[in-house]
Amino acid sequence: MKIIVCIKQVPGTNEVKMDPTTNTIIRENVASIINPFDTYAIEEAVRIKERYGAEIYGLSMGIPAASEMLREAISLKIDKAMLLTDRKFAGADTLATSYALSRGVEKIGAYDLIICGKQATDGDTAQVGPSLAKTLGIAYATDISKIIELNYGFMRCMKITDDGYEEIEIKLPALITVVKEINMPRLPSIKSMRNAKSAEIEIVTSKDAAADENRTGLKGSPTQVRKTFVPVHDVNSIYISGSTEEQSKKLAEILLGKES
Amino acid sequence: MENNNTFAEMYSEYLRDESRQTGMAESISFPKTEEEIISDLKKCVYKNMEITTQGARTGLAASAVPFGGHIINLSKMNKVTGARYEKESGRFFLKVQPGVLLTEVRKYLTNKSFVTLDWDEQSREALNYMEKNQWFYSTDPTEISASIGGMTACNASGAKSFRYGSTRDHVESLRVVLADGDILSLRRGQCMARDGHFELVTESGRTIKGELPKYKMPHVRKNTSGYYNKPHMDMIDLFIGADGTLGIISEIEIELSKKQAANWGVTVFMPDEDKALDLVRVARGEKVFEDMEALSLKPSAIEFFSHNALEMLKVQQKTNSAFASIQEIKDVYHTAVYIEIENDSDDEIWKGIDCLGTCIEKLGGDEDATWVANNPTSLEKLHSFRHACPECVNMQIDIAKKTDSRITKLGTDMSVPDDKLKEVMKMYNEDIKKNNLHAVIFGHVGNNHLHVNTIPRNMEEYKRGKELYLTWAEKIAAMGGAVSAEHGVGKLKVPFLQKMYSKEELDEMRSLKKLFDHTQLLNRGAVFPFEKGEDI
Repeated sequence: MKIIVCIKQVPGTNEVKMDPTTNTIIRENVASIINPFDTYAIEEAVRIKERYGAEIYGLSMGIPAASEMLREAISLKIDKAMLLTDRKFAGADTLATSYALSRGVEKIGAYDLIICGKQATDGDTAQVGPSLAKTLGIAYATDISKIIELNYGFMRCMKITDDGYEEIEIKLPALITVVKEINMPRLPSIKSMRNAKSAEIEIVTSKDAAADENRTGLKGSPTQVRKTFVPVHDVNSIYISGSTEEQSKKLAEILLGKES
Repeated sequence: MENNNTFAEMYSEYLRDESRQTGMAESISFPKTEEEIISDLKKCVYKNMEITTQGARTGLAASAVPFGGHIINLSKMNKVTGARYEKESGRFFLKVQPGVLLTEVRKYLTNKSFVTLDWDEQSREALNYMEKNQWFYSTDPTEISASIGGMTACNASGAKSFRYGSTRDHVESLRVVLADGDILSLRRGQCMARDGHFELVTESGRTIKGELPKYKMPHVRKNTSGYYNKPHMDMIDLFIGADGTLGIISEIEIELSKKQAANWGVTVFMPDEDKALDLVRVARGEKVFEDMEALSLKPSAIEFFSHNALEMLKVQQKTNSAFASIQEIKDVYHTAVYIEIENDSDDEIWKGIDCLGTCIEKLGGDEDATWVANNPTSLEKLHSFRHACPECVNMQIDIAKKTDSRITKLGTDMSVPDDKLKEVMKMYNEDIKKNNLHAVIFGHVGNNHLHVNTIPRNMEEYKRGKELYLTWAEKIAAMGGAVSAEHGVGKLKVPFLQKMYSKEELDEMRSLKKLFDHTQLLNRGAVFPFEKGEDI
């Protein structure tokens, strides 16, 4: 069985700086971490490997420095890692990102399962997973909280919904996005860190991936960010005082709109 | 001073501390200034009332539990009152009132958010040399709501004392209010004893001359058993760890440490206890292998988790959602050692960890049975794992309390010299088995200082455990160890200290106390028993 885990490098801080001209996140010179949701995807892949046997590929698109992040992913016990890195990939929106990733997936070759984190903590769109599945033309399920059974032909799992859980069956090859309820990611061991130090990260350019330049980077991104801003949390509190009776009377008036 | 009929009801929380002992008192006061401490003290001495000084009441040896008389609670003296920077040496100091909490000091240092309204010009200027989150106070007891005054009174330490030492090593100056209201202002290096004799001059100009005791302190890495004593000691050290029996500390100047760029932790699971103890020796730099140089990891902490402690955590992990964030403890994991390292760079730390991995394999362990934390988020996970131990013990004690409310926590705090580590572990294990008790062992193994926590299931086991602790105090004293390593003697461990020092040696401590507090009103019954008929 071959599993591909998509991993994104995100800023390790919530003080994100934006490029005022392109309206994209400035990633240079910012301490970066593995997108926290992706650590659950990595862990789940490793658990499948331990239970059923599998080979795990980590796949990322990003700046050259993201290869260190992939090395960290190897220390979390994935087997191999590929980084799509090229100026031509820069400034990608979710559509262009999923296209680039799909080229990486095709380069890795025959696979059974792709696991992504639910969303990235910088963009928060939760679009890349489903979009990648659509680009590849495979089945997908989002918000998976438990894998119940896995076979070569299909997989049964639990999906978190607004109302509770759904048990679903999905045909392989497929893509799932996972939520943090699915597992508790492990820390690396001395042995796995040593392995990661000497591991080779496969660097893939746009040309290597035979990517269509019109579908990658800023060029391939239909999303136009017009403006970015920090949301204002405008919460007003009203404190009601007095006896229980007076308080309930006042509350009723407020609810009925008789008092502003 | 507050005083009325329902005192015990109104101030019940001030009658106990974290040792879970409950005492009694007649009155309490909450001074806000040194002058108010003096005034309260004078009133008590006039009425011949015993005085118990309290900080945040997080102590584990009942030092802050009153047994009659008046309580002076310092929780309202909770300000950082100044800062000092020595440019030449690059040393930073903070001047604090005794009631300020460790957690507050940490917060101020992380955010550089001191309230400087009442600070002098020099202190404010010193702050210009401080950057946010670059300095820290290195004493790190598990209980971070401890007060700096309380920590000084019991010479608290904590996990990182392996590298940074105890409170004593970071106190630069003290102001101490004596029982008669006079004040001693002590600065490190400026009041040294000579050949066991000392002379201290109070602020009123009185000279206190005295002779130091003859007893020798144990040769251990950590010790808070009785008064600090060395023939050529710095006299400031006498007042640190004296459990409030010599005077009331009204101001402390603490030295800060500079944060290092990289901080990693690694939890190593070894296949048996003996191998785990060998790993401890490796980690602290002992030469264990003929064919390999000793490591120079320079860890800040080396901690231990016995097999039973891991089993206890495993059960909690499965049944209690509060511990769900702990990574899976595999069945093959027998005993664990936690090592924390700080250095200038990640690369430097990795070099050490890499060698540690080789040593683990050489000892018959598995370097894959390790959890490495190389960033603050994952380090936090390993800290939670460490703190889960005492939390689990407390939860189990609370359950046992339902069978008999007299049951309290039974935890040891004894340390031994380096070469006695294996011997003391063997003693603990054999005695626990022989007495058919259930116990978990964890703590600061790098300093040969382990907390044995007996978890009594009923009153009978509680009593047996208590008796056993007294036996251990005697055996550990015989090994050249200390009966209290970091919690202080307080009132709870007075019988233990009697196993460590002879009657004559305790009398020497008592004489020293009487020199500063001749009516023996200050924290009477702490460190050594009060002897009647002497308080005239």
